[in-house]
Amino acid sequence: MIKKLTLIILIVCSALFSCKSDDDNEGGTLNLEFNNSIGSEPVVLSDKISYTNGSNESYTITELKYIISNIVLIKKDGQEFVYPVEKSYFLINDEVSDSKKIVLKDIDPAEYSKIKFGFGVDQSKYPLNGVDNFVPTAEEGNMLWSWSAGYIFLKFEGTFTPQGGEVDNFLIHVGSHGTTLDNYKEITVELSEKVSISEKLSPTVSIQANIAKILDGTNTHSLAAKKSIQVDPENAPKIAENVTSMFSVAKVSN
Amino acid sequence: MKFLVYIGIILFGVACNSSSDNDEYTPIPENKKLEFKIPSNFPDPTYDISLNPPTEKGFELGKKLFYDGRLSSDGVVSCGFCHLQDFAFTHHTHIVSHGVDGALGTRNALPLHNLAFMEEFTWDGAVSHLDQQPIVPITAEVEMNETFASILKKLENEPEYVKLFAEAFTDQKINTENMLKAISQFVVMMISADSKYDKIERNEGSVFTEEEQAGFDLFQSKCASCHKGTLFTDQSYRNNGLPIDPEYNDIGRKRVSGLEEDIYKFKVPTLRNVRLTFPYMHDGRFFTLRQVLDHYSDGMVDHETLDPMFRDTENNVEGIPMTDIEKEQIIAFLETLTDDDYINDNRFSEF
Repeated sequence: MIKKLTLIILIVCSALFSCKSDDDNEGGTLNLEFNNSIGSEPVVLSDKISYTNGSNESYTITELKYIISNIVLIKKDGQEFVYPVEKSYFLINDEVSDSKKIVLKDIDPAEYSKIKFGFGVDQSKYPLNGVDNFVPTAEEGNMLWSWSAGYIFLKFEGTFTPQGGEVDNFLIHVGSHGTTLDNYKEITVELSEKVSISEKLSPTVSIQANIAKILDGTNTHSLAAKKSIQVDPENAPKIAENVTSMFSVAKVSN
Repeated sequence: MKFLVYIGIILFGVACNSSSDNDEYTPIPENKKLEFKIPSNFPDPTYDISLNPPTEKGFELGKKLFYDGRLSSDGVVSCGFCHLQDFAFTHHTHIVSHGVDGALGTRNALPLHNLAFMEEFTWDGAVSHLDQQPIVPITAEVEMNETFASILKKLENEPEYVKLFAEAFTDQKINTENMLKAISQFVVMMISADSKYDKIERNEGSVFTEEEQAGFDLFQSKCASCHKGTLFTDQSYRNNGLPIDPEYNDIGRKRVSGLEEDIYKFKVPTLRNVRLTFPYMHDGRFFTLRQVLDHYSDGMVDHETLDPMFRDTENNVEGIPMTDIEKEQIIAFLETLTDDDYINDNRFSEF
């Protein structure tokens, strides 16, 4: 009788366990940390802390948010692990520390050497799987255009003082609009050392976003020349291009 | 011993079947696909039906959402509030649409029909996919003024919605994607293709009266280059010479493209059911078709972006010259575009 009972208990237990292993994928976890900086200094959101841009204007940052999407991990041999697109939309808000830490789960165990991701939302490929489930997050962060159904990819706001001039506000909002203006960009960063992901190893990759590049990247943007960029087919694409060069991998902790 | 093995097998099966997120397992009743029928005189749809095929339950859910005031902040303004079926889903007699707490919009509600065949949406093309369209009126302060997070919370508290979402979608989830897909399933089924004109175009036995025929011929030569084909729009954006209303100073397509060359351009609207969709133009400034035609013959004002087809060979504003009789004939033809079957189709009715 006791033998029988033990057997029943054993069977029940194994049944329960079998479900656990059903839910858990065998992959590993990768932590991505986004660190916004000006040069090597972390960004401080404050109208008291000023920085200087390439046009010799001093500026402060009061708001900094951007959308990261479509994360792809690239193995040494070039093979890609595409993180499920429906889970692959993230709002990085400098004000919210949690938003700067992305945890990617169920990743193919392997050694990776590059990370590819999107800046913004690839609206040219609508309908995108799962993108609509990002609406509440974008909405909460005020990253939807009020008059259109599209996303604001980057919000960069603050004050600036031109050389010998008065202090003023600046506002840079970049996104895609309808089918006419596509500012979505794909960015690939090289990992400084290879990242091994397995069930046991959950490495952290720190990505540095050098925010100074928004104004001074491939293109130089003077805030005095244009302090407000919103639906701007001339300047918004230049800012988007600058964004593509602002990311680099600062550190890998295996 | 054999008995125990059986128990074991049953336990395995049960335990693994119920491993979904929900506390309870919801059985999914059969959810039949609806037939999406393209009228023989229509072009191919722009909406990819295969990615979101309308089903009985999805359609029912979409319809419920369309007519539900919960989608707005005051609980009153539903989609159907500004899109009334009797008037081809426009906001009858309202110059501009009304939103929550009596707020006024700046534009006239467009009719809803044949949306599966349209490339872009709203008067300026701010929306490039039908699934995304409801985001604009739902979040606009002067329209429904609501957030998706709040709507989803409201829906989760309604057992009827919990059931419908579960029946309509295989993942059974109440989320933004399923909500927007359901609304699309409802509106893509809204096809208006049974007007007198359609029956003539498809050789189904109807014939134009003499006046309608004369109007049709005039329409072909004077209007059809923009109000093109069986959808009666080439889906382009054009400045048709409306005097600027300083109250709104609506810049039109420029708001989307940011381009100076697009200022004051608006979508060429479809003319199907046009007799019912008054008032006319993006700001609802004209109440009758006669006023619209009078504008085209005599009311245009010049502007850099005025469509070149409204100019004469010397670059002066010419408009579309029409006599009184010609206008009457054109209006007689336009009335053949009214589709009473569509206006009375119970599938789309609130009650």
